Amino acid sequence: MDILEKAVDRVLSGDRSAFQQIVDATSQKLVRLGARIMGNQADAEDVVQEAYVKAYRALTAGEFDRRSSTSTWLYRIVVNGAIDAKRSRKRRAEASDEQVDPGWDGAAFAEARLALTEIDDWLQALPPDQRAALVLQSMEGLNNSEIAQVMGVSEGAVEQRLVRARATLRQKREQS
Amino acid sequence: MIEQEETEQRLARLSGATDALRPSAGFSARVMLAIEREAAPSFLETTWFSARRLLPVAAIAAAMAVVWAVQVDGYVDDELASSYASMELE
Repeated sequence: MDILEKAVDRVLSGDRSAFQQIVDATSQKLVRLGARIMGNQADAEDVVQEAYVKAYRALTAGEFDRRSSTSTWLYRIVVNGAIDAKRSRKRRAEASDEQVDPGWDGAAFAEARLALTEIDDWLQALPPDQRAALVLQSMEGLNNSEIAQVMGVSEGAVEQRLVRARATLRQKREQS
Repeated sequence: MIEQEETEQRLARLSGATDALRPSAGFSARVMLAIEREAAPSFLETTWFSARRLLPVAAIAAAMAVVWAVQVDGYVDDELASSYASMELE
């Protein structure tokens, strides 16, 4: 059993401080995933923070049935949150990565920020669910079965989203 | 040129450029603060819990008040009746 599953066991047995271990073990991957879907880090951090609160609520209420791994479950909460946030288009005016204190290498952060802007502009033409599927496959390295688990849809639906997403991007490239 | 870049190559390049992304400073602390707020009972929850505990006491007090009111009403009626009776005798 890995650290994550052990931390979940501890939270389930009443040690709420063990949730910090879950955050420490997963926040980098989840913020990166959120940023790739949202197109900027500030919105991604909002989505991931909300996802952790939902996860904590579900854990303490005994609603996590452990049919999937903790990691897949957290991925699902973040992806759903990011898709909802993208759909509602409630991006705060002040939510800009200019205000994010990276706390790490400035040059790498600047490069990543530029790349996120490019991702956001490029994938803007895609509906949020297609965008999420494409990010999960091409940037997170998940296979169709794993994407289906994360998104809570069939593998066929994942395949369809990926085909449509690539067709839209190809069409966009040909038009430009 | 980016326009001529194949979709898969562009996805791979952007994936590599964002690989180093990590949470901003203090992110973990902000999350745990939000969790603590979630764990602490809200004012409404506290009030509701206290109100529920006081409910049986309030019910007993209300019942006792009704009994007392009925008894007092009976004494008043008796007193009025006896004072009318003494007025009639006079």
